[in-house]
Amino acid sequence: MSRSTTAIPFRVNTARAVCDASLRQAMDYSTRTFSAKRAEGTAQVPLEEWRERASAIRMQVLDNLADYVDRFSANATRAGAVVHRAKDAQIARDTVAAILKDRGIKMVVKAKSMVTEEIHLNKRLEEIGIEPVETDLGEYIVQIAGETPSHILAPAIHKSRKDIGRLFADKLGIEYTDDPEVLTKVARRVLREKFLAAKAGITGANFAIADTGSLVIFTNEGNGRMVTTLPRLHVAVLSVEKVIPSLADLSTFVRLLPRSASGQILSSYLSVITGTRKQGETTGAREIHIVLVDNGRSEIVKGEFREILKCIRCSACMNVCPVYKVIGGHAYGCTYPGPMGIVLTAVLEGMERAHPLQDATTFCGACVEVCPVKVPLSKLLRRLRERRAEQRLTPLVERLAMFGFGTVTQSPALFGLGQRMSWSVWPLLKDFSRSKLFVRLPRPARKTFKRSMS
Amino acid sequence: MTSDAVIQRFMEMAVKAAAKAVRVNSAARLNEALPSIIQLGDKAGPRIFCPRSTEKEKAVIIPEDLFTTDYFDADVCIEEVSGAIAETGSIICTSHGGKAVQAGLLPSHHVAIVPQDRIFETLDDYFESCREAPPTNITLETGPSRTADIELTLTVGVHGPERLSIIVF
Ligand code: SF4
Repeated sequence: MSRSTTAIPFRVNTARAVCDASLRQAMDYSTRTFSAKRAEGTAQVPLEEWRERASAIRMQVLDNLADYVDRFSANATRAGAVVHRAKDAQIARDTVAAILKDRGIKMVVKAKSMVTEEIHLNKRLEEIGIEPVETDLGEYIVQIAGETPSHILAPAIHKSRKDIGRLFADKLGIEYTDDPEVLTKVARRVLREKFLAAKAGITGANFAIADTGSLVIFTNEGNGRMVTTLPRLHVAVLSVEKVIPSLADLSTFVRLLPRSASGQILSSYLSVITGTRKQGETTGAREIHIVLVDNGRSEIVKGEFREILKCIRCSACMNVCPVYKVIGGHAYGCTYPGPMGIVLTAVLEGMERAHPLQDATTFCGACVEVCPVKVPLSKLLRRLRERRAEQRLTPLVERLAMFGFGTVTQSPALFGLGQRMSWSVWPLLKDFSRSKLFVRLPRPARKTFKRSMS
Repeated sequence: MTSDAVIQRFMEMAVKAAAKAVRVNSAARLNEALPSIIQLGDKAGPRIFCPRSTEKEKAVIIPEDLFTTDYFDADVCIEEVSGAIAETGSIICTSHGGKAVQAGLLPSHHVAIVPQDRIFETLDDYFESCREAPPTNITLETGPSRTADIELTLTVGVHGPERLSIIVF
């Protein structure tokens, strides 16, 4: 795996994010709306029963991941697809690049797929002269802005309608408007041409069905359907853990995914694609390539963070996270933000790089309560912090402070001395450090609460 | 036979997902309902695509000057779909029998004739029925195409149809 080991500058990113008033406003509004819709959409249903079932199915897959992936591959092949196994991100993007290049493809339409972000596919395609066109409206917006998604379902959530109006005026040469309806129609027109011209489409998949080799794709806009039915070549890129056993299991996830994401009973379009166009048919790609991305997952599934692979990417955990709600997705500096992103990034990209993200949690447990597949996020996040301490990845000052605190609290005498000293030493400390933090903190009380009571 | 209660539930759920839904019991009633559904009164008539391959599709009367065989070029697609699911208010479109699933996607108005004996009560009922050998393409369509990607403002008709009208027959 090609890994960067430089730690994500999370504190710097966060400082920048909290200073951005318009970002804070956008995040506050959107996460509040999503959470409220989710709450409404899950209020009248036997949610607990569904979550139990979904969790059990996901665990069953993880317990036998290799078998399910093999079964999926065999059945997809039988249905006419060509299945490629990609051990890491590099192999995955090279595989996709080669498929397109060999067929002389110059432009490819894409439906939203987070795993293609994970493997940095677009950059690779551009390097070899292939234009990837994102067709999910939010993803299209961040693409023409030269940014990355800040939310796994609503990629442009951090942008206001004014930002988008200016962006479209600038990049598409239209007259400025901030009317979402007009902007959407403009995108429809521009992208419709791309759909009709494209000779290849790239999608992810929300699920892959082992028994039938089918790919399952949810969209609201209809771009997933366009990408998979219009071009003659369809390349699906998905991570291995997306497999579920059979079509009979799909109902549970159909019930949970859209509700957890946006409170919808079902997204506008749900496509189940089983292989290539058969004789006498008039729908579907004539050539389908499925790139199964492992990128460390067959190891992750054996380790103590395996349960993160249950995740179905609904985004409910980020929408309720008090940290995400304030700083938004970009501050995390990685593909997957929010509570699930902290865990997934640590296992995908390594602790050296990902450990600063572990500050982005308050352990309030809100994420655990909303997760439709019962990923024990609090437990995993706590375990990551322990790991970080074990691997001595916390800053030296913090480690010394913690060591000092630990020693002192174990000795009543030292603790009492510390308490008494703090009042007198405080002004010195303040002058000495000149840190803003010290200036803002109040001077410790002369008498502790306990002493005043006795 | 699908019970009236299930049909009723399907129509309610479809309306909840911003589709329009009516029920007819004869070809004559179907043709009576159509002009108001596709707003035939409009000055420039819309270009209408219909595969005319099933009995019910053949019963649809379309003024010849509005009829087109090219769904890429159509404003309206009238077709009989494979069935529906009451639980979610979805229509089921599949590639079975040579159907072009994309025909219902490209025109801005999708008019779906749902055979009334093919309305499944739940998602499980439907997926169980096809779990062994699913058609190449199954698309559940629930309401019109929509996005909320700009400040979460709901806008219909992004890439797919702006309007979905359902006729249970
Ligand atoms: S961890 Fe759970 S709540 Fe978070 S995105 Fe994954 S499935 Fe959704």
